[in-house]
Amino acid sequence: MIPSSRLLFLPLAAIAVCAPAQATVYLSVDEAQKLMFGEQALMPLPVVLTPEQTAAIEQDAGTKVYPGSLRAWKAADGYFFVDAVIGKHDLITYAVALGADGKVRQLEILEYREAYGSEVRNPRWRAQFNGKQHGDSVRIGDGIQNISGATLSSEHITDGIRRLLATYAIAIAQPPAQR
Amino acid sequence: MPSLSPSPPRSAEVRRARPLLGTLVEIQATGAAPQARLHAAVDTAFAAVEQVHRRMSFHEAGSTVSALNREALQRPLRVDAQTWAVLAAAQRLSRLSEGAFDIAVGAPLRDWGYLPAGLPGAAGPPFDGNWTDIELLDECRVRFHRPLLIDLGGIAKGYAVDCAIAVLRQAGVEAALVNAGGDLRTFGGPQPVRLRHPQAPALTAHTLTLCDEALATSANYYSRRDTAAGAVAPLLDPRRRRPWLGDASISVRAADCISADALTKVVLFAAPEAAERVLVAYGAQAYVQQPAAAAA
Repeated sequence: MIPSSRLLFLPLAAIAVCAPAQATVYLSVDEAQKLMFGEQALMPLPVVLTPEQTAAIEQDAGTKVYPGSLRAWKAADGYFFVDAVIGKHDLITYAVALGADGKVRQLEILEYREAYGSEVRNPRWRAQFNGKQHGDSVRIGDGIQNISGATLSSEHITDGIRRLLATYAIAIAQPPAQR
Repeated sequence: MPSLSPSPPRSAEVRRARPLLGTLVEIQATGAAPQARLHAAVDTAFAAVEQVHRRMSFHEAGSTVSALNREALQRPLRVDAQTWAVLAAAQRLSRLSEGAFDIAVGAPLRDWGYLPAGLPGAAGPPFDGNWTDIELLDECRVRFHRPLLIDLGGIAKGYAVDCAIAVLRQAGVEAALVNAGGDLRTFGGPQPVRLRHPQAPALTAHTLTLCDEALATSANYYSRRDTAAGAVAPLLDPRRRRPWLGDASISVRAADCISADALTKVVLFAAPEAAERVLVAYGAQAYVQQPAAAAA
């Protein structure tokens, strides 16, 4: 290696001795609520989908609906949602504020976790992030959480938002169909 | 969140992320309490990134880039000052690198499925122009001289990071880090940054310390894919019009992120002597992580 060179070749250590990359909690659910709706108290809104609604949402959003994944709250001037998406390499929980008009007012990532190898496709690994745990876990890491690497696509988050908006339109904004 | 409760909070920290620019953009800010002030500064910084996204997205029909791709061959088109600044930076680097960096790569990237199809002017001559066919005229006007599609994906993320950093500085934040999917910049004190291992990107291979600097990385591990026509990747050798399918990881450290972002492509595609010359011109340093040839 020539010290004056502008091209420095870094030796690559054996994979086994490297530290794991990243798991970051940006905001808790409470922090996101406060950021988006201030001090107002939000009313939990149970989202129970009929099989027909689930099919309609999947059709509309072009993505699968995982029962129990979405959590919703009603605010005086809108709605607050927490949901999760699983990408090829990561699991992301996020919060969305919708205005009374159903338009996205704010979107914040709550928690980002990278999976090692095939973990992300393992149902048991995924299960630990289901339900109440979204965005609620403790901040972890060793203080170095800034990563430079190739860009991870955020396409699956976009898919998640589309699913959330479809759920809102089909199951929340409209009253349930009368028989 | 554990808090160090006994002492009064003098300094606060905020760390947030949003999906923008096709990746996850993270903003960290440290400064005097209250935290609400930092949140407000971070809101403004995200708004700056969103503005760059709206103007420079290949995907959005309403962006300046889409307008150029639709109309700049027919007539000179006036663009916003930000897009102009990015185009000028891109052209300067294309000139210095003799085309190893080139924004006229939208057509092959679209054909490989990395950019959406269905652009206007689909019928007609092929989009085979390069950077020398892009003319920057006075009054922020731009003209193409041969059919081409520009894509700012190799430079706009870095520019957006710079814009967000400028906003945070202006807001009086003491220290900050903005990271757009691995293209990042810091100010206000040293910040450790990990480099992903190119063979196991969830793991860290090296740690660098940045101080009021930028670092960007290009590699294939998340984006390479196989198609019927062979393997493709969004990193494209502009002169050969072929995807780069290597398994190395290239990081560039520079004073600003627009330069760091674009220079990774110069290191990938220029001859070593040319890359060295360009890096010197930008006062930049490149780090190459090259996995050893696969053992038998």
